[in-house]
Amino acid sequence: MKYKDYYEILGVPRDATPEQIKNAYRKLARKYHPDVSKEPDAEARFKEMGEAYKVLKDPESRAAYDRLGANWQNGQDFQPPPETGGFQYAQGAGGGAHFEGMDFGDFFEQMFGHQAGWARSAGGGRNMRMQGEDHHAKIQIDLEDAYRGAQRTITLRMPEADENGRIVNRDKTLSVNIPQGIRAGQTLRLAGQGGPGIGGAPAGDLYLEIAFQPHARYRVDGRDVYVDLPLAPWEAALGATVSVPLPDGAVELAVPPNSAGGRKLRLKGKGLPGKQPGDLYVVLAIALPRADTEAQKDAYRAFRDAFDFHPRAQ
Amino acid sequence: MNKTIIYTESQLIGDDATLTLVELCQACSSSEDMVRELVAEGVLEPAGRLPQEWRFGGASLRRLRVARQLALDLEVNTPGIALALDLLDRIEALQAEMARMRRY
Repeated sequence: MKYKDYYEILGVPRDATPEQIKNAYRKLARKYHPDVSKEPDAEARFKEMGEAYKVLKDPESRAAYDRLGANWQNGQDFQPPPETGGFQYAQGAGGGAHFEGMDFGDFFEQMFGHQAGWARSAGGGRNMRMQGEDHHAKIQIDLEDAYRGAQRTITLRMPEADENGRIVNRDKTLSVNIPQGIRAGQTLRLAGQGGPGIGGAPAGDLYLEIAFQPHARYRVDGRDVYVDLPLAPWEAALGATVSVPLPDGAVELAVPPNSAGGRKLRLKGKGLPGKQPGDLYVVLAIALPRADTEAQKDAYRAFRDAFDFHPRAQ
Repeated sequence: MNKTIIYTESQLIGDDATLTLVELCQACSSSEDMVRELVAEGVLEPAGRLPQEWRFGGASLRRLRVARQLALDLEVNTPGIALALDLLDRIEALQAEMARMRRY
């Protein structure tokens, strides 16, 4: 396990005032907030600074942290006190998945996780009935699964209460049906798969927010799907019937003569399926063959001589 | 490791407004006061006139969760949340536009 220098993470000196710590956190949090930031590592950074702030803003936990001493370096190997517990980042088998707000790093969990788990079971009370928390995770699915509908297995690392009421992380593998026509940004509810209820109350629900895995061929915008179709210059000029691969099988598409690059051909209803199915747009792209051999160069010269063509003329 | 697979029914929360105020609050760990404020600010637009008649569509789930995270993490107030969400929507629309125009 690596030591984490919470002061370095927030960019404040070890003798920073609570006000300085708060200001440093607020400034960094705005920059790296995962709902706002486009920095590639925003999510990881935001978690790290959240963890640092959680420890340093509370005088007691800051004092406990300071007792480790000032001689540790960020990332240095560190032996923790023999306590375990806590939540951490989880990678789902059926695409990336993570939980929000409960996945602090190893270092934090070793140092502070034990108390957090205990506090919850004690604070929950014995005679209280409380419905379990609803959990949220994001999953990435393949576009093809949204076209056809699919059954997918995902593994999530989720907090659960063990026999002593302590909160521990367990991997939970769920088989989830992906309904046909689902779109990015929509949410699936898995009833009863959230946090456990207290005092015999029902468990919470699990909400899965859907995103599409980036696809090499297709781009998705709401219900509509876009695909680029490369054409030879003669296909674009003379017209052609070409096979276009779609997420759900292929279609034969008639390209009209004299089609320009960038032209969009709409295949109505071939986007994401549903009550109001989306459209699929085929965007034509003209690919030029290289002129390497003498015969190929002659072909281009004949091409030139056959036209009175001035591409830069207004 | 426990490799038990749990088979479970998933339910799509679609665009039809079906979630009540209570369900939405439970789903996003949010208070009714917060949802009322966001409705007053126009961030959430339920069908129905009175709070007990309100029904929210699936898109509200995501908006409310982002709103809640912004309020908790950055201490942004309600008009600030409304502004941030509008700007995020615009960024998303621009990015979709850019993706459509992308060429190989």
